[in-house]
Amino acid sequence: MSNLSIEILSALDNAQNGYINSLDTKNMDGWLANYTTDGSYICIAAENEANNLPIALMLDDCYARLQDRVTYVTKVWAGTFEDYQTRHFTQRIGAEAVGNDTYKVITNYHILFTPEQGQTNVLVTGHYQDEIVLGDTALFKSKKAVMDTNVSPRYIVYPV
Amino acid sequence: MNAPEKYSPLVRWPAKVNEIPKEVFFREDVYQLELENIFYGPEWHPVAHTGELPNKGDFKTINVGERPILVVRGDDGDIRTFYNACAHRGNLLETRVSGNAVEFECPYHRWLFDLRGELRGAPGDDDFSPSYRKEDFGLPAIRSAEFMGLIFVTCSDETPELDEYLGRVKDALAITFNGDGRLKLLGYQKVLYDVNWKAYVDNDGYHAPLLHAAFKLLDWQGGKGEQYSTKNGHIGFESELKVPKDTGFLKDPTLLQFKGTASSKGSAIASTFPITVITKHMDMINIRFAFPRGVGQTEVHYGYYCHEDDDDEMVQHRIRQSSNMLGPTGLVSMEDASIFHRIHVGNHTPGNVTFQKGVKHEDRIWYDFKQNDEAGNLPRWEHYRQSLGFNREEA
Ligand code: FES
Ligand SMILES: [Fe+2]
Repeated sequence: MSNLSIEILSALDNAQNGYINSLDTKNMDGWLANYTTDGSYICIAAENEANNLPIALMLDDCYARLQDRVTYVTKVWAGTFEDYQTRHFTQRIGAEAVGNDTYKVITNYHILFTPEQGQTNVLVTGHYQDEIVLGDTALFKSKKAVMDTNVSPRYIVYPV
Repeated sequence: MNAPEKYSPLVRWPAKVNEIPKEVFFREDVYQLELENIFYGPEWHPVAHTGELPNKGDFKTINVGERPILVVRGDDGDIRTFYNACAHRGNLLETRVSGNAVEFECPYHRWLFDLRGELRGAPGDDDFSPSYRKEDFGLPAIRSAEFMGLIFVTCSDETPELDEYLGRVKDALAITFNGDGRLKLLGYQKVLYDVNWKAYVDNDGYHAPLLHAAFKLLDWQGGKGEQYSTKNGHIGFESELKVPKDTGFLKDPTLLQFKGTASSKGSAIASTFPITVITKHMDMINIRFAFPRGVGQTEVHYGYYCHEDDDDEMVQHRIRQSSNMLGPTGLVSMEDASIFHRIHVGNHTPGNVTFQKGVKHEDRIWYDFKQNDEAGNLPRWEHYRQSLGFNREEA
């Protein structure tokens, strides 16, 4: 249970919606703009997380790495993969203040994907562990996407 | 009644050694034959590295073909391999993919097995069949052998000893394992590709340089190297290490550094028949445990490792590099992954797949290749063809 005000919860939800919307619209610069300049992003299988195994699927532990992920998707891989549309569905399940306008937020996610031929399937499901800073704009100081889907059903191009 | 031709057990195998009939990539009857003759036949299959099971009681489950396997480090420190099926009525014994156990109890009728696979107790056994003896009902063991910590199993008694079986590819394996195989597990990336297992392995170890824009953008030319194959279908690649230049293309070039010591220099790929690819690129040590999930899917578990002697800085570097360079989301391999799907769909068309680059002969097999020759796959295909008993058409 969260005892945060409706205004704060709404600002946190807006941040999450902005994040997933940038991914579902394939806007990688928009994705980067969700992060603070000391931000980090990790996408890791729940199996590794549970066994203290550090290997991730994506490990952007500094802002330069976040910038490089934009380059991977928009420059390195462009034109080599069969593209797909994602739809992220999220539900906030917990939030707490940790000081300095920063909030720890836990959110379930479920991502469907539709490749060019048009059949929709589940890409991955799991939960986000986020630190969100509420300033003039709400930004992610860190985002960790833990995937229940230990065996992903395909290659993954876009961040989760 | 004449069976329709597409159900004929005979595959028309072309006369030219660089042509492969596409029907072997999707025919269900061919797949069943592969399970029997290859996956359950006289071949060794890597199932774990000792670095994944450091402690007594550590276990791992995986498949060989479609058979579930249990790998356990016993209370005596020895690693044993079993079929992951209860000795009573065959219930899948362990459902977790890994963990630590003191014993294995089958929930169905509560038969209890110890870490060495011995049956410890079966409730109500005073009522069992006249010839029942507890000592006859241990877990079904599967033959195993080890090379530098890599544990192989085989379902056949006829498989040659592992050392002889691996042959020259041991050289490439030794490089990938930093010379001694004293590895520690860093974690896994797991993925299920929509591709027949043979198209997966055709396109995994072998590298298509033109596919990867990253190489060009980083001005990253592969070092000088060689590729060789063995008569029984293994492939080794060994090359000098070339570190990509800092072209300013990546904001964080530390990801591409090589921090290994001189003795660990070199890049290598070992591809063991039928389906396993093991690599060392820069500071990434990677074993790709793989098995078919039916004729049209292949599950791959990318295991990443560090070396027991690494300091903290080296371990952190390996974690960063491994997590961002290889696997289904990796900078230089996501494209490979996306090719697997497309190849599988494309292979449902009539005719043959053709290999061209590096093909010196069309009427016989040879074993030494240049680094980027796709012809390196041909000895594996020849071993495959012979394993399944398909006859080559007359030229
Ligand atoms: S099937 Fe395992 S105890 Fe009966
Ligand atoms: Fe490749």
